[in-house]
Amino acid sequence: MSERLRAERRARLAAAMSAEGIDTLVVAGNPWRSDYLRYATDLVPMEGHVFAFVEREGTARVIAELPAEAARFSSEQSALQVTWSASLIEEAEAAIRSFGRKRIALAPLAAVPYRLASGPLASSIAPATAMLDRLMLRKAPSEVDALRRAAALADDGYAVFREAARVGRPEYELLADVEAFFRLRGCPENFQILGSGGREVRGMHPPTERRLMPGDLVTTELTPCVDGYYAQICRTLVIGAPSEAQVRAFSVYEEALAAGIAAVRPGATAGQVALAQNEVFRRHGLGDYVTSEYTRVRGHGLGLYVDGRPAVLEDVGLVLEPEMALVVHPNTYHPEAGYFVHGDSLRVTTEGCEVLTRTPRQLFSVPAG
Amino acid sequence: MRAAGLGAVLLYTSFPRPSAVAWLTHFVPYWNEGLLVVLPSGAPTLLAAFSKRMQGWIRSVCHVGEVQSVPHLGRAAAELLGERVPGASGIGVLELDALPWPVAEPLANVHGPRLIDVTALFAAIRQPADDTEIKLARRAAGIAAKALDSIPRAAVRASPVLSAIEKSARLDGAEEVQARLAPDLASGTVLRRLEGDLPLSGRYAVELSVAYKGTWIRVVRCCSSSTPASWRKAERWTSEWATRTSGISAGPFSGDVMFWSLEACVGTQPYSVVASAVGPRGTVSAGTLACYSIKLQLPDGPWLGAMPVVIGGKEPGRLLVDPLRD
Repeated sequence: MSERLRAERRARLAAAMSAEGIDTLVVAGNPWRSDYLRYATDLVPMEGHVFAFVEREGTARVIAELPAEAARFSSEQSALQVTWSASLIEEAEAAIRSFGRKRIALAPLAAVPYRLASGPLASSIAPATAMLDRLMLRKAPSEVDALRRAAALADDGYAVFREAARVGRPEYELLADVEAFFRLRGCPENFQILGSGGREVRGMHPPTERRLMPGDLVTTELTPCVDGYYAQICRTLVIGAPSEAQVRAFSVYEEALAAGIAAVRPGATAGQVALAQNEVFRRHGLGDYVTSEYTRVRGHGLGLYVDGRPAVLEDVGLVLEPEMALVVHPNTYHPEAGYFVHGDSLRVTTEGCEVLTRTPRQLFSVPAG
Repeated sequence: MRAAGLGAVLLYTSFPRPSAVAWLTHFVPYWNEGLLVVLPSGAPTLLAAFSKRMQGWIRSVCHVGEVQSVPHLGRAAAELLGERVPGASGIGVLELDALPWPVAEPLANVHGPRLIDVTALFAAIRQPADDTEIKLARRAAGIAAKALDSIPRAAVRASPVLSAIEKSARLDGAEEVQARLAPDLASGTVLRRLEGDLPLSGRYAVELSVAYKGTWIRVVRCCSSSTPASWRKAERWTSEWATRTSGISAGPFSGDVMFWSLEACVGTQPYSVVASAVGPRGTVSAGTLACYSIKLQLPDGPWLGAMPVVIGGKEPGRLLVDPLRD
């Protein structure tokens, strides 16, 4: 990541800490929830847990759980004071005590451990997490640039996926091809789940040993990371020529995705984006299939986490603003065809939105022979 | 549990903390999280923060009794424990201190005084590894060795190396592949996470961690167009040390050792540092599935090694990789 982006984030964080009256922000992170830590320090744990103690004026102390991770953090940012401890939480507790009467806050809610949270800092967790959430929602130009490159990489990755999807191959081989392609392009991480089969398939999952068969619907969501920022593409393909039922089903998802994208504009809520998609299903008599029985969300925020805020659900009132980034995906089960996914990454503009995904919105077909 | 008088034990699982629940049930929640509720009798109950439609997948990949899809793990666990565990008995929680606050808070609110940390109890039963786990680890080590063999011999950039490793390991069925790389051993031994690309020098090192069916192993290989004789000696020396020790708490080295560590799975994480050159100085029992990592300063520069091993007791330990391959 560029020094400029790191400096931009630190300046925004320092201003927010000042406004909230926080002297020291204790940020927890791990290999799954690294987003808050990355925003505050630009560190990305690969293993174990990490605590960063970020001072308003910019200095930071870091405690890692593993020696290799501590050595890596030190080499990545020589200005950091990095140590490691096999008793990480006790060490972090002692560090917090050493700050004495400074105003300290803990974040994020999802990663703070019980022992630290059940102490006197419990009341600081929610406001400090909310502060970081606000900072991460609207992207700076260099963050948008990273998202744009991630979306382009997702397009290329989906082309690799289409080539990989052939009769007889197990699901995990498709992932092997895609991940190898991403490493070759310098992408360190990709969140990907998939599904294959017919009407019996109710969702996506990590790859299994199931082998692709003619007529299968093959779904995937691909989420590569560039400079820490994740963009996502969701598409469905058919092994062989699509059936009439598959084509008919696809047209509903295409209509819903278009409606969802059309609803994205400043001032609209995440709930309205969900509603626009769900109404398409309801008009087609498929209202049951936009309930939690069959689906999770109609999209979600993008950024330093693969599944960020806001969740695109009808009851979410978060108001969209320019430079937020989302994936809109009306992914759900269709009773005639099975589980379908269809989604694009986009950024909110002053007028509406810019779709970052370039892969055509179509029901792809690959040879069954 | 009976000896400790526990009415239940709770084990948390998530992407960074999958190992305890995977060991008991084979379930790994990938992008989500779960709580396994183990009662003194009967199959355990899995509370999973997945939607109901994922139950088919969950059941297809693990061995549990009941699976409940719940939006709030802590609240659901508090309720379940209230229904099924007699009021007086303690509730063991593995790594209680580390439990994420949104999970821990509702549990503590309802059952606070009954919650007992069982980290030490669990560690005491987690190792030694059984034959099945050792077989899985051996398979994972084979996947890793083959992946490292696939590194292009004339590689001058990191990305083709990482790509070759990833492809080989995934095609062989690895569900997680994690590589760190020291691109120029002459200028530094720190194993880096690569974003983008980097040039490789004539001597570099790759650390590869692989998960196969929930079992993790770790290896390090130093790469050079012409393998120095000292590297061969270092590999032999290290493997002899790793296999001859019993219940090790400290290494027998002096002089050229820059750092060493012994890692094993004793809780929720795939590896925890049990002992190292700078502490802690814990011990593991014979038969423990572990990983030795070592950094040596040799006459012609630094050398890194890591190898999965079954710790020896009366019998020598067993390496799960062949260090003296060509």
